[in-house]
Amino acid sequence: MTTLRQRLVPYGLMSPGLLWLALFFVVPMFFMAWFSVSSGSLEAGWSLTWTFSNYTDAISNYTTQFGRSFLYAGAATILCLLLGYPLAYAIAFKAGRWQNLMLFAVIAPFFTTYLIRTIAWKTILEDSSPVVSFLKTIQVLPSDGRVLATSAAVIAGLTYNFLPFMVLPLYASLERLDLRLLEASKDLYASATQTFFRVTLPLTAPGIIAGVLLTFIPAVGDYVNATFLGGVNQSMIGNVIQAQYLVINDYATAAALSFTLMIIILIAVMLYIRFAGTEALMGDEEEASA
Amino acid sequence: MTDSTWKRPVTRLAIAAAGLAAALTVVACGSTGGTDNTDVPTAPGGKASGTLNISNWPLYIDDQTISDFEKKTGIKVNYTEDVNSNTDFFGKVQPLLSNGDSGGRSILTVTDWMSKKMYDLGYLQKLNPDDLKTVFNHLIPSLQDPAFDPGRTYSIPWQSGMTGLVVRTDLAPDIKSINDLFDPKYKGKVTMLDELRDSAALVMKADGVEPSEASTEEWLAAVDKVKGAKESGQIRRFTGNDYVQDLAKGDVVAAIGWSGDAVQAQADNPNIEYVQPEQGCILWSDNMSIPVGAPNSPAAYEFMNYVYEPENQAQIVEYVNYISPVTGVKEILTKKDPELANNELIFPSEKFLSKCSNQVSPPGDDAQQKEVENAWLSVVEG
Repeated sequence: MTTLRQRLVPYGLMSPGLLWLALFFVVPMFFMAWFSVSSGSLEAGWSLTWTFSNYTDAISNYTTQFGRSFLYAGAATILCLLLGYPLAYAIAFKAGRWQNLMLFAVIAPFFTTYLIRTIAWKTILEDSSPVVSFLKTIQVLPSDGRVLATSAAVIAGLTYNFLPFMVLPLYASLERLDLRLLEASKDLYASATQTFFRVTLPLTAPGIIAGVLLTFIPAVGDYVNATFLGGVNQSMIGNVIQAQYLVINDYATAAALSFTLMIIILIAVMLYIRFAGTEALMGDEEEASA
Repeated sequence: MTDSTWKRPVTRLAIAAAGLAAALTVVACGSTGGTDNTDVPTAPGGKASGTLNISNWPLYIDDQTISDFEKKTGIKVNYTEDVNSNTDFFGKVQPLLSNGDSGGRSILTVTDWMSKKMYDLGYLQKLNPDDLKTVFNHLIPSLQDPAFDPGRTYSIPWQSGMTGLVVRTDLAPDIKSINDLFDPKYKGKVTMLDELRDSAALVMKADGVEPSEASTEEWLAAVDKVKGAKESGQIRRFTGNDYVQDLAKGDVVAAIGWSGDAVQAQADNPNIEYVQPEQGCILWSDNMSIPVGAPNSPAAYEFMNYVYEPENQAQIVEYVNYISPVTGVKEILTKKDPELANNELIFPSEKFLSKCSNQVSPPGDDAQQKEVENAWLSVVEG
């Protein structure tokens, strides 16, 4: 009898989480799916008509915004990785007694709300700000140019806002790195560069993958940065979905767009893990079996 | 013992699953039904007491009126500034209102077209004029019979305002017309509001089309003109009321904006000024209404009457700087604050408003309106 009871324990432990997911993920998903193939309006009510043209219309009307979202999120993710890896490396190996303080500094922005942090960038990048004057002085920017309300500003905002999501998993995997392996590499006459690319980088791949996913996925759906830092040609798909839901109350199009975005992200992530991920994540097993 | 031990979690799961299925069915059915206003109730009056929940826009009341009202009537007021935009607020409360629940609100405040939309959906109650004696004694004549609600059966104006040009007079002194916003000289230095009924309406007025008489094609033409200016880089951004900061910094030299914002911003920066467009402005009001399912409507009537007492209204106007819908306020303020009383933006003369139009929605049925709204959305969110 106790064995039966023991077998039930995991289900008992899982049930609050499952119930939570069912209520706040499965049920909303069901309604989104329902709306995405419905037709009607708020005034006349909605009815299920299996209108799959909601999808084709949504995709063909908003291809630009879809493309832009993936472009911005991709650029921000790459920038986050380029900025975040050296930072995480420095915190893990070079910071010494400053390590905790530096980690705190990475997390510190979270004490202010996301919205305020984004709006602060409006001040940093405004037309007459020191940053912009400096860029003009070194002729990166033409004298009548601007930073705010451009794609660059949106990507900068995304990069800034999602950087901690990149740094923390990178730090976690760097911190676990067995330093004796680096010594061994050195003993075997590998240069510092070779050691980095052939030992450190592959061993921290799980951190890179986690960081990339944690940065890229929320960045694709973001609309706050485009709202405040973008101009007239910087709307991302999140802005469109927001406006479809709340401004013109076209729930069908909004739901179809949300679903399409979700499916594209899912496919992209699966491809990414398949081609970039498995080898790094499962490398040990494959080697073991080989 | 064994039986009951292993059954219990299963039973619970089964109950949960059944509950979930039931909820799905209920909500799925609920969301299919449209609503209409044929059986809209009239909010009951009576002796006012208890608690009153009010939803209004930010910075739309002074900080004395509510406590004065509480002291005078003994009614406890929860005044919430949770209306930031008509559409966002609608999106938030619609699921409640469609089930006849006001979310505890007894008064909510939205703009003309949204008042009408909510009423047509059956979300607002009718008001009893016998319970609003003070309101109807002091409501200014020009607002007594608006086209969307003749005789004021479900909406009582809170404040009115103008949509026009807000300009940095030191940086762009020659902007006098909406058409000047399209001047290449100001490329990338102008913004428009993201509201179709403000921006597109002003653009068509500048081309000599009266919004209330415009056809769907004329609305689409105005949207197209804005689209061209957007694509050429003329328009920097479409904004909510955050255009004021852009103007203050000088990132933007001219914007389509609201009169009350301009009066408030001018106090901080004398170079920011409201300019009445040569071809006129768009006039609108935000209205108090009692939503369906509202608790304590007697207290709501009491509050509406209270803010229509000229003395009480003067106190609000002094702070918010929009156009008051109440008679006799100018006389009071002439004694208290002559500069305010002579401000054309707060007490506009008929001449100042002569070319202005009332804010309207695009014409036609649901599908035609949606066509214009979609076209506008694809410009704003392009």
